[in-house]
Amino acid sequence: MKLCITGLNHRTAPVEVREQLAFDEHSLGAALADLVGRPGISEGLILSTCNRVEVSVASGDSVDPGAVIERFLAERRGVDPAALAPFLYRYEDAEAIRHLFRVASSLDSMVVGEPQILGQLKAAYAAAKAHGAVGGWLEAILTRAFSVAKRVRTETGIGENPVSVSSTAVDLARQIFGSLAERRVMVIGAGKMAELAVKHLRSAGVQRIYVTNRTLERARAMAEAFQGIIVEYDRFLEALPEMDIVLTSSGAPFYLLRKDQMRRVIEARRHRPMFLIDIAVPRNVDPAVNELDNVFLYDIDDLARVADANLGERRKRAELAERIIEEEVQRMVARLKAREVVPTIVSLQERLEQIRQAELARYRSRLGPLTAEQEEALEALTRGILNKFAHGPMTELRRQASQPEGVQTIELIRRMFRLDD
Amino acid sequence: MQEMSLFWLRVAAVFYSVGMLHALVLALRRASRLFPVALTAFGVGAILHAVSIIEQTRLTGHFPANNFFESASLCALLSALLYLFVWWRYRVRNLCLFIFPLVFVLTLISALASPLARWGDERVRDAWLVVHVVLVLAGYAALAVTAVASIAYLIRERQIKRKLALPKSAEAPALLTLDELIGRGMTAGFVLITLAVVAGSTWASIESGARWIRDPRILISLATWGLYLVMVFLRASAGWRGRKAAVMVIALVGCSALTWAAHTSLRTLFAP
Repeated sequence: MKLCITGLNHRTAPVEVREQLAFDEHSLGAALADLVGRPGISEGLILSTCNRVEVSVASGDSVDPGAVIERFLAERRGVDPAALAPFLYRYEDAEAIRHLFRVASSLDSMVVGEPQILGQLKAAYAAAKAHGAVGGWLEAILTRAFSVAKRVRTETGIGENPVSVSSTAVDLARQIFGSLAERRVMVIGAGKMAELAVKHLRSAGVQRIYVTNRTLERARAMAEAFQGIIVEYDRFLEALPEMDIVLTSSGAPFYLLRKDQMRRVIEARRHRPMFLIDIAVPRNVDPAVNELDNVFLYDIDDLARVADANLGERRKRAELAERIIEEEVQRMVARLKAREVVPTIVSLQERLEQIRQAELARYRSRLGPLTAEQEEALEALTRGILNKFAHGPMTELRRQASQPEGVQTIELIRRMFRLDD
Repeated sequence: MQEMSLFWLRVAAVFYSVGMLHALVLALRRASRLFPVALTAFGVGAILHAVSIIEQTRLTGHFPANNFFESASLCALLSALLYLFVWWRYRVRNLCLFIFPLVFVLTLISALASPLARWGDERVRDAWLVVHVVLVLAGYAALAVTAVASIAYLIRERQIKRKLALPKSAEAPALLTLDELIGRGMTAGFVLITLAVVAGSTWASIESGARWIRDPRILISLATWGLYLVMVFLRASAGWRGRKAAVMVIALVGCSALTWAAHTSLRTLFAP
């Protein structure tokens, strides 16, 4: 039995190539049926995300699974195989297991430690399961990959610190306010960056968003997109004491919020804490504002610095995660090899049982009629001898399964007992 | 103090106690419907207080600031009158959180210039003392929790403010949570310590007459309570929270430790 993964990802292929190969949800069923219908392929899985397209298969020993997958990809997506080849990678057996574990644990992701990939892999598995494309080796490896990912996440805490500017801002807001559900957010300036940050804040539970912009139309567009409330640009200062978080991204070439203004604002809100996120360049908020008690100001560089620090921390944790994965790969390989010798062990047991039954039949006529107790004793005696005899070879078979040279020993045992006859 | 003067002063203290109750409810729940009643009682208390002082002046023939008790009484009346004027002129309600307890405690101390009664039963005496001690310890426990929250707040605030390496969100409570804990711990401690001051002053007055107030250790305790009162008032009225509140709590813990140390040798004062 062979295991093979072939595909491409954000490191090996540009987005134009990745999008050519991507499978959508609707075509996945037919593609899986096509994949496992190909000669020699017993199981298959298709993982298609914006950063990767990978096909994993379990196949018989007689086929080249990598070539099968390459043909499959080229044919299904209508791409020239020669044009595709430079972007593809291929992992087999232990390497494939390692790759799958790394993907599930988000060590192979564009942003190491991001949590989405595990969900995407689980969805791909669910689709394969629903279409009957997994149910043996590959399934065992996949379910193990989910456990490994969980272990990596728990033991290393790799995904705990945010690494993007927007998610860092949300994390900081949480460190100041705890739950964000009751917080009011004012967005000053309705640019793309602000939109992204608001999206993060919204998904973190913020309900009340107020938008102000010099151009009313853009404020209206953003307010509509996030079910926000428009505040007149000329009057936003009056509304500030009611806001807990202020996000500034205006293109104004001067400070929109100065220290004296913010002092009045914080006094008006009776010193309840306030978080100012200034992602504008040039900055919209005077840095001296951060000197005020209960006002926390982070500009784009501050946020990037925290995100970078978190990224460094993730890299350190990734090293620990790699060690966990290596340990899990060894364990998985050993388990699979142990599974490989199961047919040999079963054959050995059957062979010995055949011999026992034949010998019993041969001597039964000489022994004459036996009582029930004698029959039972004879049965126990012969079975006991066989079990003791078989114990050594079977233990050796299991032991040799995980050894590099084990195949030869297994072969020798098969020949010794004529298991292939 | 003469009998009638003292009687009116004690009745005034009873009226002031309604204001005190309102202040404690306000500190604990941040809202109280008692204010109209408390203000009326406070006004009546001030009138009776004035009657007491006039009576005292008439009988002794001198200005009633001759000793600590008289001075405390006069100070309490002036504070009460000043508050009533400010209320009449500006309708500033929040000030009551500071003035009501202050006036009540000062009046209570003045009213304890001579013992209220004698101990009829030793068990009542001991039980009263136990109540005082339990209230003080509960107050200190609340203060200890508040102090821990304050230290945690200062560390977290510094990390966020100075943009230092931040801990994971899940590892430490949010600043606002810590601030709320400080606020709640502070008010709970204040209520307990105030009740302990009332119970302790009354007990000490019955136990040892007027001499208890001259002990510097008692004065340290009252000063600590006064600091506590200022802190609760500043938080409620001026919105002192966050860093300022945390620093104040830590200062208060220092004063409380001093009070504690002073009290460990109090037994000598009440020794027969």
